[in-house]
Formats: sequence, structure tokens, C-alpha cells
Amino acid sequence: MEKNLSEYVSISKNIENLKLEKTVKIAIMSSFTLNGLDETIRVMCSELDTRCHSYVSGYNQYNQELLNSQSNYYDFSPNITFLILDIRNFLGDTFHYPYDISDEERKLLVKEKTEQLENIISLFEKNTKSKLVISNFNIPFYSPNGIIETKSNFGFHEMIEEINSSLRQMCKEKNSIYVYDFNNFVSRYGENNIFDYRQFHVGDIQITYNLIPNLANDLMSYVKPLLGKTRKCIVLDLDNTLWGGIVGEDGINGIELGHTPTGKAFVEFQKELLSLWNQGIILSINSKNNFDDAMKVIREHPDMILREKHFASIQINWNDKAENMIQISTEANIGLDSFVFFDDDKLNQERIKHEFPEILTVNVSDDPSNFVPILKGINDFNVLHRTTEDSNRGEMYAQQRQRRNFENSVSNLDEFLKQLKIKVKIKKANKFLTPRISQLTLKTNQFNLTTKRYQEEEIQKLSNNENFEVGCAQVLDKFGDNGITGVYIIEKNKNLWIIDTFLLSCRIIGRGIETAILTEIVKKAKQNGITELRANFIPTLKNKPSENFLSDFGFQKNNDYWIYDLNNEIKTSNHLEVETD
Amino acid sequence: MTDNVHAIVAKVFSISETDVNDESGPENIESWDSFNGLILVDELENNFKIKFSISEITDVKTVADIKRHLKNHNVSVNE
Repeated sequence: MEKNLSEYVSISKNIENLKLEKTVKIAIMSSFTLNGLDETIRVMCSELDTRCHSYVSGYNQYNQELLNSQSNYYDFSPNITFLILDIRNFLGDTFHYPYDISDEERKLLVKEKTEQLENIISLFEKNTKSKLVISNFNIPFYSPNGIIETKSNFGFHEMIEEINSSLRQMCKEKNSIYVYDFNNFVSRYGENNIFDYRQFHVGDIQITYNLIPNLANDLMSYVKPLLGKTRKCIVLDLDNTLWGGIVGEDGINGIELGHTPTGKAFVEFQKELLSLWNQGIILSINSKNNFDDAMKVIREHPDMILREKHFASIQINWNDKAENMIQISTEANIGLDSFVFFDDDKLNQERIKHEFPEILTVNVSDDPSNFVPILKGINDFNVLHRTTEDSNRGEMYAQQRQRRNFENSVSNLDEFLKQLKIKVKIKKANKFLTPRISQLTLKTNQFNLTTKRYQEEEIQKLSNNENFEVGCAQVLDKFGDNGITGVYIIEKNKNLWIIDTFLLSCRIIGRGIETAILTEIVKKAKQNGITELRANFIPTLKNKPSENFLSDFGFQKNNDYWIYDLNNEIKTSNHLEVETD
Repeated sequence: MTDNVHAIVAKVFSISETDVNDESGPENIESWDSFNGLILVDELENNFKIKFSISEITDVKTVADIKRHLKNHNVSVNE
């Protein structure tokens, strides 16, 4: 981590007066002393321009606080709760003397403990709207049974494995409950480094102070997507980043890629990038090179893992890297604040850091064998749910590049739109669509009339409320499926409908899709005998692209909102096909 | 690495170095609670590359005690 615990604690005293954009409420409950975690998380949130209000439950009081519906915890009403338990406390005497009882008794104990976890989780589900992150248990390296531990019938380690596996099973299908793999944390940093017997005896501290920032960093992986503060595009340099050497000087046969130890490091790095691409992370190139030299490597080098089709935008030229960055942002149609910049050159790193503080510029070392661990250490790519749109994103962006090429080859926009053969499928929200709908409300900034953010639970609630209609749009064309890329929410009163939310993913703006969706809403309002259709535009720093949409559509400004005259004739677009369910 | 115990104490408890002396301890430094006390142990151990025993940790009542324990670990302390 960048700072140690005492630095985080001292910074935490000076963040109260900062002006921060967002707010989040975080509760920490634990069965042992976790001093400093709260302060560290608050500082990490402030670094994300977010004010974190925190609640730390009393020492080992989590059970009482959960059982008492009047407790301070419920009063606090957090957005997210971290419940960190420890195996010593949880197993009691059996932690020390697992073999004093029979294997049957051990099985019974595990069953009882699993039920205890089930109860905790159902209390959460019943009493809070908070997301819950519950830790699993680390399997200690030691067993009194020594080398025959693995031969024991339902032995000590197997007990904990069984509890972990049950915990995972019971949370898998629950939308707002996540298991934090604490056992994995322990295997990463090592039990001997995490557990300091002196700190344990002095203050029941079970995670040494040195590693509290690392734990906080792990837990921030859940907070970032909750705040919509995640990254989705890695912008890569080429020379000494994707391969060793300089292609302009060394030539395609002279660069290091594959075979040599250094060459293998670059191949390994590319494999990790491809694996992120497969999970929906977008890749782009920003390199100072002769285009043809570099493309020859990308297209023809036998050891290249990443090929042309993996890149959403390719900027290989002699322009300023900052200019290229804007070009990538425009072409891929994603905000600079979703970018991660990976370039071995310190000057380039400084240039981008200075020009675009909102980009995460990675502090890349000179040693390519460090690239993979550095990449794996970035916890900004997480999603709380992986939607189909997420997994296919890489491919969708490559299709997008094909669309652009196609657009450039067609003489005018109307012709382009006609030939795209766009199909818009409008769907009412259901439980399969809820995660994606929530995700779009959380991260869509540009084409968004009201920028209201809704967590999944809230979308679920609204879609079950008959005074609201939550809908979304899937967009397809001749190049492929763009997935669910539009969302609307209508508040339905007796004679008046209010458009609470209307947004479109930026990559499909400008093809008449927004007009088609709104037209469907107008049609529906007419069919329902509504006399007034009202909409709002709430300006933000980023939603300029949707500023004129309402007036262009024919809405009239009335005080601080917009009204559509439902007696107007409905215009239908002839270049796209709309389907409603 | 610093050989100045007072500077480390001052940093951990967010006080001025001139306010630290041999008699400083939980009794007269308000922020010296058990949590910050353990952070101090961490800072000293990382700085001087030593490990205190549990009795050394629990025995500390003043800065003078810290210096005494550091000497036992062959750390030359700047008086």
C-alpha cells in the first residue's frame, strides 16, 4: 500500500473539512479488534472524492446489534456492511482441541455453526437495505494432528473448509450479499505475517497493524463499484510495454517477445490483459511509433497474444500522448475517468498524470516481470454483478470500431443509419434485467436526463410498485448486439406521468434510438389516456450531450420542468425497427 | 531510518517533538491510548529492525522505558 496505518490514521483526522462529491455509509462489525480499519477506509474513500460516514460496532457485539432491531447499527442504516469474523472465536474451544470430540460431533458442530451464519444473514436480509460483505474463515496452517491431518475423518481443516463452502453456497444466489475471501487474504500475505501473538495477547488484534491498509484496500473493491468508481479501459503503450525493445529500431524480428526470459514476461503480461478483456475490460493503444511498423507486429508476430480485434481504439502516431488519450475517449466513447494508463516511460506517466488526474496512471517499473503483479494489484475493475453486457464488452467495442470504419465508408449519416439495420427491443424490468438496469443508472453520466442513481434493491422495489414503470432497451444492428443500453423510469400518477429517469449508454447515442424509446413512452401515455407527460433535465458536469434532447423532441419548458403536448402527432422513425414486449 | 526516538513518538501521537521528554507517557500525552501505543511499537520495530517481547510492550510507561528496552536490543539511542 502507498501509506502505512499510522499515516492513514493521521490523515483521517484532517479530511472532515474536505469538499467531496459523493457520500457513502459504511458499517464495520467484527468479532475481534480491527482498530484503524475504519480510519483507513475513510481516507481511501476521500481519495475517491467521497465522504464516508462510518459506524463501527462494539467489540464483538455484532450478534447483539443484529438481534436488536432498535440498535445503533440499524439506526445508522449503512449502504454497505463489512462483517469480519475470526475462526478462533467462531469455533470456541474446538479451535484448540478439535480432536477432543468425535468426527460425528465435529460434523454436528459445523452444522450448528453453519446455521448460525444462516441466521445472521437472514437477519440482515430482513432488517436492512445494506449490502453485506461477510468474511469466510482462514484455514490455519497448523493442526495438532500434524502430517496426518489430511487423513483425519472430518478433520480440523476439513471443518473450516466445510463452513466456508456452505457460506459460499448460501450467499451465491443472494443479490446483496457477498463473501469476502479472507482465507485468500491470509494465503496472499501469509498467516505468520498477519497474526502477531503479541498484538493478539495485548488487544485481541488478529490482523497485524502493518496489513490493515491491505485489508482496507481489499474491502474498497466492494465500495468502488457501489460508488460507480470503477475503471473499464486499459490504455497501453507498445515498446517496452507489450514487447521488449523498440520496433522502429529493432524491427519485428529484433523485439523481445516470447522465448527469452524477458520475452516471456511480455507474453505473460499480454495473457493477463487478454484475460481481463475476456471479462469485459476494454483495451486501447496509445503509442509513439510508425503505424505500419507497429501494426505489423500486432498482425504478424507469432508470439503476440493481443491482436487488432482486441483493441477498441488504436492510436499509433507521433502525436502528443495526451491528445491521443482524448481521441481514444472520443472513439471508444468512454470517459477519461474510466481509464487506466499503462506505459513504462516515466515521462509519459508524468505527462498524463499532470494532464488528466482523473486517469489512473499506473506506476510501472522498468522490470517487465513486475507488470503482471502490478496489473493484478489494481482493484478498480470490479463489478458487483457481471452482466452479459460486461462480459461481451470487449467484443462490442471491437464491433464499434467496425461501425466507425463503416460510417466513414458511407457517404451520409441517413444512409449509414439505414444500412445499420438497427433494432430496438423495449423490455419491462424483471429480476434478470435488474442488475444491468441498476448498473446503467449508476454509471451513465453523459446521456442521462436526471442522473438519479439506483441500487439493485431500489430498482427491484420500483419495478414492483404499480405507480412506477421501469423499462430498458436492448439495441441490435448488423454488426452485433449492443445489449441493454437504455433505461427509463416513469412515475405514473392518475393523469400525469413523470419521466423520473431516461438514459442511454453513450456508445449508442446519435442513432435516433433515444427518440425511438421516448416515442414509445409517448405512445403508451396516449394509450393510457394520460393528459400530461412531464420530464426533467438536471444539469451536471457531464450530461451536456442530453441537454437539448427534450426540446428537440418537442417538449416545452414550463417553470423548472418540461412538458410534452400529447395532442402532437407521433413521429416514427423509418430507419429503425422497434419491438415492445 | 532515524535514531531519534522523540521524533517517532511525536509523529505517532501527532504532537510537537519539543513536547516529548523522558517522562512522556500515557499519563501526560492525551493521544497515547492502547491503539496508538501499539502503532508506536510498530513504528519503532520497523525503524530499528528489532522485535520487542510482549513484556517489553506491556511494561512501557514512559519514553525512558522505551529507550531502556531499545538499549537491550543493542540500539544506540540519541539522548
